Amino acid sequence: MDASFFFTQFVSGLTMATLLFLVASGLTLIFGVGNVFNFAHGSFYMLGAYFGYQFVTVWGNNFWLSLVLTAVCVGLVGMVVEAVFLRRIYGRANEGGFQILLTYSFILIIDDLVKLIWGTEYKSLPRPQGFQGAFQAGDIYFPAYNLLIIAIGLFVVVAAWWILSRTRAGRVARAAATDREIVGVLGVNVPRTMTLVFGIATALGGMAGALAAPLRTVTPGAGIEVIIDSLIVVVLGGMGNFWGAWFGAILIGEVNAFAVAFVPKWATLFSFLVMVIVLVFKPEGLFATRKIRKL
Amino acid sequence: MKKNVRVCLAIALLALMVMPMAIHAEEKVIRIGAMYPMTGRPGLYGIDSVAAAEMAMDEINGKGGVNGYKIDATFTDSKAKPAYAVRVATRYITEDKVHFLFGIVSSGVGLAVTEVSKQYKTIFIGTDHASTQLTVDKFQPYYFRVSNDTFSSMAAGALYLKELQAKKPWKTIAYIGPDYAYGHDQWNELRYNLDRFGVKHKVVGEYWPKLFEPDYNSYVTSLINDKPDILVTGFWGGDTVAFIKQAQAYGMFKKTLYFQPDAGGNYELMSAMGAELPAGLVLGARHYNNWPDTERNRNFVQSFFKRTGRYPTYAAEGAYAGVYAIAKAVEAVGNPDDTEALVKALSTLKIQLPEDPEGFTSYIDPETHQIMQMQAIGVTMPNNDFPPAKMMLGDWKVYKPEDIAPPAEYIKEKRK
Amino acid sequence: MTKETAMNFKAATLWGMIVVLFALVPVLASSPYQINLASHVLIWSLFAVSFNMLWGVTGMLSLGQALFYGLGAYSVGLLVNYLGSAWYLPGIGIGLLAAALLAFFLGLLVIRVGGVYFTMLTLAFGQLAWQITFKWYDFTGGDDGIQGIMPPGLLGNKTAYYYFLLVLVLVSIWILKRMAYSPFGLILRCVQQNPDRVRFLGRRVRRNQLRIYIISSFFSALAGSLMVGVDSSIHTDMLYWTTSGEVILMSVLGGINQFFGPFVGAVAIILIEDYVGAYTEYWSLIIGTIMLVMVLGFPKGLVGEARRLIMRFGRTETGR
Repeated sequence: MDASFFFTQFVSGLTMATLLFLVASGLTLIFGVGNVFNFAHGSFYMLGAYFGYQFVTVWGNNFWLSLVLTAVCVGLVGMVVEAVFLRRIYGRANEGGFQILLTYSFILIIDDLVKLIWGTEYKSLPRPQGFQGAFQAGDIYFPAYNLLIIAIGLFVVVAAWWILSRTRAGRVARAAATDREIVGVLGVNVPRTMTLVFGIATALGGMAGALAAPLRTVTPGAGIEVIIDSLIVVVLGGMGNFWGAWFGAILIGEVNAFAVAFVPKWATLFSFLVMVIVLVFKPEGLFATRKIRKL
Repeated sequence: MKKNVRVCLAIALLALMVMPMAIHAEEKVIRIGAMYPMTGRPGLYGIDSVAAAEMAMDEINGKGGVNGYKIDATFTDSKAKPAYAVRVATRYITEDKVHFLFGIVSSGVGLAVTEVSKQYKTIFIGTDHASTQLTVDKFQPYYFRVSNDTFSSMAAGALYLKELQAKKPWKTIAYIGPDYAYGHDQWNELRYNLDRFGVKHKVVGEYWPKLFEPDYNSYVTSLINDKPDILVTGFWGGDTVAFIKQAQAYGMFKKTLYFQPDAGGNYELMSAMGAELPAGLVLGARHYNNWPDTERNRNFVQSFFKRTGRYPTYAAEGAYAGVYAIAKAVEAVGNPDDTEALVKALSTLKIQLPEDPEGFTSYIDPETHQIMQMQAIGVTMPNNDFPPAKMMLGDWKVYKPEDIAPPAEYIKEKRK
Repeated sequence: MTKETAMNFKAATLWGMIVVLFALVPVLASSPYQINLASHVLIWSLFAVSFNMLWGVTGMLSLGQALFYGLGAYSVGLLVNYLGSAWYLPGIGIGLLAAALLAFFLGLLVIRVGGVYFTMLTLAFGQLAWQITFKWYDFTGGDDGIQGIMPPGLLGNKTAYYYFLLVLVLVSIWILKRMAYSPFGLILRCVQQNPDRVRFLGRRVRRNQLRIYIISSFFSALAGSLMVGVDSSIHTDMLYWTTSGEVILMSVLGGINQFFGPFVGAVAIILIEDYVGAYTEYWSLIIGTIMLVMVLGFPKGLVGEARRLIMRFGRTETGR
């Protein structure tokens, strides 16, 4: 085992971690601001992949334009879903369970709609122009597209942190998370804010889907496969915390990368193991913004 | 207002539940109770199987059926869940009085359903699940399989590697496959066969990502570090696509031969990846759209295309073969009710299928109730005949069933 | 008759009718499938009712009860598979004991946090158990599961087994019902509504939460172990998180504030699943829509809405 192998393994762990983070970022945003637990977030990720496929492969658009269009479209779908359905159950007794069920019903419905529209065949997106190759250093390759994804992840986490902590809109969103009523009294249209936040969160999910599509398979059922891993990341980092989600994703990604290299037989257990260890010692996550101890 | 909405909703719910009952009791009918996954990842296999089975039924019924019997099949989504499939199978047998259970893609579900078949003494025709257990360890007389098991794919794979070694000496081999029975079986069976055929090899890596793992980057870089001459993979479906895409970016296939003898050659891979699919990958599958180049196979592929607007994945041919096997057995017995006679007829069945090359007829092995077929392995190369695929397999190597079926001592050992 | 006793009488009649109905299933059934279906319904009812003690009554939304359901099933399944069918009944006992013990230790970990954190933690442990079972192929059979697990002796008969599980399920539900309306049940309700006040009253919130977590897990494990004999097999699906999700659905469909809500919900879900699954491949769209409509339009569930209707008609009849 030499140093260069350590480095390549580290970078490939980062790629996985960043995609995980991009999905989880939307999830943690909705939870942090809206207290909504969106099980269907993975389905928005899947929708993003299919929209990306539609824009790029079927309609032949430029990849980057398609990426933006996809994020906007998925965000719009998310806003409609929030305004028409989700809004109705806010504040209900035992809201948590109703949220899980409602968002789970979205998974079932979106899965079948996707099947009706695009069929069950696997779809694929090519890597965008200019990012098809790899940087080569001696024997090792660093695929350009992977590096790009890592950069985009960094950009998202910094941008989100800046918006949430340094702009007025971000402060309103955070305030709404703490106390919706007071913010409402202060003249902020809380329902509209919630819809918007939900839209941004699903747009992030959709973007992650379209970005991941050139590396993965576009298939029905893809949503449910990413949701559990993203949940782990969100819980690990402390729900509602962007930096926490990013760190949680890196932790899971790197632990996985080195488990694969050194104990391949048990690699799949490690991410759960990390989660259990963290949660036993810090049940509210590594970077919890709030303590939710009382029931 | 609000009340009205509720009333409407309630009515809508009721309407959903009171769907028309479509049970009918015709006189002379061969009833088949089929189960396939039709949602999620394996949905494609199920949908293709249903289309092909219906195609076979239409062909047979269009010619007047079998001995005056029409074939009628019910298709239910198995949801790839064993407990649910057991419930459906029980309903098929005890309520719908089917003559045959049929289908199943996942081996886990297949193992659960074969128990029901044994319990109720109802014939179960497996069309796509590949676990060798069903015909060897967990064999029961009412089970028949009309598609390849993993053992013969892996034995053919071992022979391929043996020939390759004679031509272009290779030493090291690594494996990556999904971490469940299907993935583990393939690797065990391949190594068993490599030893059996005396192929010298050194294993430099074994990797077990979870089924439906979306991200293989860490596996790829680790595999590259192992520097295997041959990389054997045991994926199926979307996992193959994801792995190849991610590995290709690392330039992996320049140094290592990619080898996937069981499910790699499935058309789904070619249609999903189009021009992105690298040339020179060595793949195998249970049926190919461009091999054998016989009239029977061309007809099958083209009629499927006419029916669905797309080319079939290998699951389709299995379902098609299953319906024809049933028809042939009923023809020999004369009726679909005499189960014991049908078992006898099926266990010595000989049948011409689309995947039979000229001069060969598939037959069922009476010992295992496994269909014996020629197995081909090919290499990816440009070919635009089956769009949206831009690459297809070619440069075929073909293996005879006698050489690749589980040997008697293997069966004896496993059935102990 | 006072209103109180009239209600009690009605409840008792309803209860009696359910018992008679289910007891008659093997007599009336035209095929083994119907007995199989009734068994599924009963077992899921027990699972859902015990889950709802945790959620509807105490307000602890667990998304990991499949862990205990699966533990019950795998205890029986593995013991029978490795040691023979004589271990069937002891297997149930061992499974229950293991579930109670595990629930105790796990409970200490997970009840430290509330709300959605509790949900996530239970989900995390549930998924860990699933992953281990899935992975440990040599011992658990992994994704293939284990088939051909037969109960011993008389219980090998499907009808006899049906009555065996009928009695166990009904007794368990009766115990849970007694519990829900006992002083202990009242405290649990208070824990949900106002934990601080429970503390002021000198009751310990945590201890009561732990108790109900153990009790609910115990009966979930019982449901799982009874399922083994119905299908003669065990599968990793039993531990997957969607199994935990299914009981939430049953509870909501039936009505979480009604003791019998989850029971009715389980009946409805099993029947809908079979019915819809038999007629269309788009079952997921239809079941999803039903869920959506129920959550948005009928949050009180089938039993809750039925009660509301009865109340309204009752009022107009006796009102003047």
